[in-house]
Amino acid sequence: MAEEKPDLQELGLPEEVLFSPADRDALAAERIAAPRYSYWASVFRVFFRKKINIVLLALLAVLLVFTYVYPAVTGYDPEADPYINILDSQSKHLGPGAAMERFGRSLRWSLGTGASGESTFDAVWYGSGISLSLALVCAAINLTVGVLIGAVWGFSKRVDRFMTEVYNVVANVPYILLISVVVLILSPSFWSMVFALTVTGWISIAYFIRTQVVIIRDREYNLASRCLGTPMYRIATKNILPFMTSVIVTLAAAEIPAYISYEVFLSFIGMGLRDMSLGRLIQSAQGAMLTPGWELEFWSPVAVAAVITVVLYVVGQNLGDASDPRTHL
Amino acid sequence: MTKYLVSRILRGLLSVLIVVGIVMMMIYAFLDRRTIFAEDPVYSKQKSNAKQVYMMQQWERYGYLDYVPYADYLAQLLSRGEIDGQTYDAAVKLDRTPAADSGTTKNYVNQFAQEYEEKGYTVVRLKGDTQGNSQKYKEGGEPRLYAHRDIPVLTRLWRYITGIITVDNIHNAQGDVGKRGLTFTLYDPVYGGEKFSPAILGNGTTHKYLLYFDNRFPYIHQNLVKVNLGLSYSVNKGVDVAQTMTASQGSFVRRQVTYPTGVVEQTADDLHTATYSPGSLQSNPLKQKYFVDDYTNVSTAKTGLSRLGYSFTIGILAVVLAYLLAIPLGIAMARHKDKGLDKLGTVYIVFITAVPSLAYIFLFQSIGGRLGLPTAFDMENPSWLMYILPVISLALPATANLMKWLRRYMIDQMNGDYVKFARSGGLSEGEIFRKHVLRNAGIPLVHGIPASILGALTGAIITERVYVVPGAGNLLTNAINAYDNGVIVGVTLFYALLTVTSVIVGDVLMSLADPRITFTPKGR
Repeated sequence: MAEEKPDLQELGLPEEVLFSPADRDALAAERIAAPRYSYWASVFRVFFRKKINIVLLALLAVLLVFTYVYPAVTGYDPEADPYINILDSQSKHLGPGAAMERFGRSLRWSLGTGASGESTFDAVWYGSGISLSLALVCAAINLTVGVLIGAVWGFSKRVDRFMTEVYNVVANVPYILLISVVVLILSPSFWSMVFALTVTGWISIAYFIRTQVVIIRDREYNLASRCLGTPMYRIATKNILPFMTSVIVTLAAAEIPAYISYEVFLSFIGMGLRDMSLGRLIQSAQGAMLTPGWELEFWSPVAVAAVITVVLYVVGQNLGDASDPRTHL
Repeated sequence: MTKYLVSRILRGLLSVLIVVGIVMMMIYAFLDRRTIFAEDPVYSKQKSNAKQVYMMQQWERYGYLDYVPYADYLAQLLSRGEIDGQTYDAAVKLDRTPAADSGTTKNYVNQFAQEYEEKGYTVVRLKGDTQGNSQKYKEGGEPRLYAHRDIPVLTRLWRYITGIITVDNIHNAQGDVGKRGLTFTLYDPVYGGEKFSPAILGNGTTHKYLLYFDNRFPYIHQNLVKVNLGLSYSVNKGVDVAQTMTASQGSFVRRQVTYPTGVVEQTADDLHTATYSPGSLQSNPLKQKYFVDDYTNVSTAKTGLSRLGYSFTIGILAVVLAYLLAIPLGIAMARHKDKGLDKLGTVYIVFITAVPSLAYIFLFQSIGGRLGLPTAFDMENPSWLMYILPVISLALPATANLMKWLRRYMIDQMNGDYVKFARSGGLSEGEIFRKHVLRNAGIPLVHGIPASILGALTGAIITERVYVVPGAGNLLTNAINAYDNGVIVGVTLFYALLTVTSVIVGDVLMSLADPRITFTPKGR
């Protein structure tokens, strides 16, 4: 029995203080002693426990810098690119080596030149900026509207009956059809694209949230809370919303890459943006795919789209996992 | 169950109706109707007043408005005997301006305007368009007079819905066709009248052959009931969407055919498709060599499949491949959770879910091309090899999706008490997975089977575009790009019907697969 006992002498306290009877505080006795718990601190602790997440976040930061900072610094504008020269056949479709030889060694020419002599590298990052912005705006609108309406939908029986019928109709309209008809009626600009992607896009998110709310709404602890007279608003914000955080984060993680894919897809079939987004780049460079020596023009926007979506998706999924309190133990 | 199903079907049909209504509203009410001419070569050749008239004619044909030219009105009066031929000839002549018209013309023009304005039409008089100061009209610049009235979207919807299914009858053909009626024959005259092949022929009907047999799948064919989904404007001009989707494509196939006159020839003409075309025999001496009546309008037999046929072949092969791959892989992933195979599978699933489908389809294409597989569809030299890449491109993402859910459901089931009980009862892991976990985990997947099979009919947009498959998937995007509104509405109806059907059939299948699921409250 080599139990280590604290050395009382070290504290340097007089005997009276050490051995006086403690006050019995009724209030303090009620308090449950628990370690300090902060939800978001735990989320990030769990998130950063996985080393792969740090690597992915670093990669994401690099991608974001190239997507948003790089075009701003170089001031690239596809409408007024000084290197675009349709008459000069010498500077079109150059490989990286040939381009650097012609224009000088620089990061800008590391992917060669495109069909009209522009830098593929610049064009790709400018395009990814448009695609990513579109995805972020659409995801933000759809998630906000979807979560709010979904919550009401889940709570109110009357709203449920009405919204379910609306959902049955809207879910039948082919999404592609709806988007293309809206783009057809309006013009293929950035904001009309946002409108087309969000006009019914929120409904599937709302439906998903509704199902989650219905599952949690009638759990015993909420029943008890209602019996104790907790107002509905408090139940919604304090009892149910925390449960939904991980679901919403996971949903957001899937939404953003999905909108990038949508944009690429729509541009490819000729219904997308007028701006030089990633989808437009892929569509216009499609012919270059099979031409020997021109492949980079086609594969670089494809690769950038793929890397951005994969990184965003995986980071989001892992963040979603980390924001589930059950993983915090 | 029956009552529930009927109500589900009725509600499904209602939602299809609403969907078509919304789409019609969007494209007919909000979209500039001039856009339909965007891809029309005839339109761009028309000049001056003739252009206006051409637009009116096309809009009437595609259901935008009712259009009555002045000459038609007079011809109607003539046929009713209200005016004689001489008055007609005098009244029909319009001068350059309304003021210059002759008295008779003025009279009838006023009568025309009054009558149609009362009915709510707008009467339009286009002045003659002359060359400079001369009296000669420019090309297409003759003066015109007509009345037109817009058709409201609700009326359009009603006309469209009621016109979807038409049944041929013996009073359809106009003019003198001789004795109207149906005849039944055991020996189809197309095959020379000696080979046993029953057929029902009509006289007075739109189609000559109402029911017949031939050597193409499904061997028995009918022309009695026709589905009309809407006329195409530019994708396949003047042809119905249903016809566009189901007609065979490719090069002509020549066979020995006996024409009604008894002439036997090697030809691609498919006499079974003969439709009535009034006066065609008289006006075309060439046809008199072959035909004895006005059923001269035949289409040709071609070697390839229809658009739907190609889409469905590729789609169904992909579905089968996806289930064959996904079920064993999903089970293996669930059994070896967090081991190498599971991790590898997860990487694959993440790749397919996150990466834009365009990217990996192109990737498959370029890998397949390196391996020497054909990367483009060729209807003229069909081989089974050209199906490989499209099928793989469609199957691999479907596999990832199925794997993801099967793994999820199986892992959820594995924690069930019944699994622990089975294990304590001494069942082997294999038996537990096959006989208990899979059967429970498979139930939600059963729900998706009808959707994936029927979904094969709609075709795949990117895959068909990348591999140049002449399938149905591109129809909608082509129609949208060419502002072909009739096709857009028709394809929407088709898609919506397929979705509604697949959800209902999926529910029924699920309740068959799992007796615990029932849709009637008194079921238990």
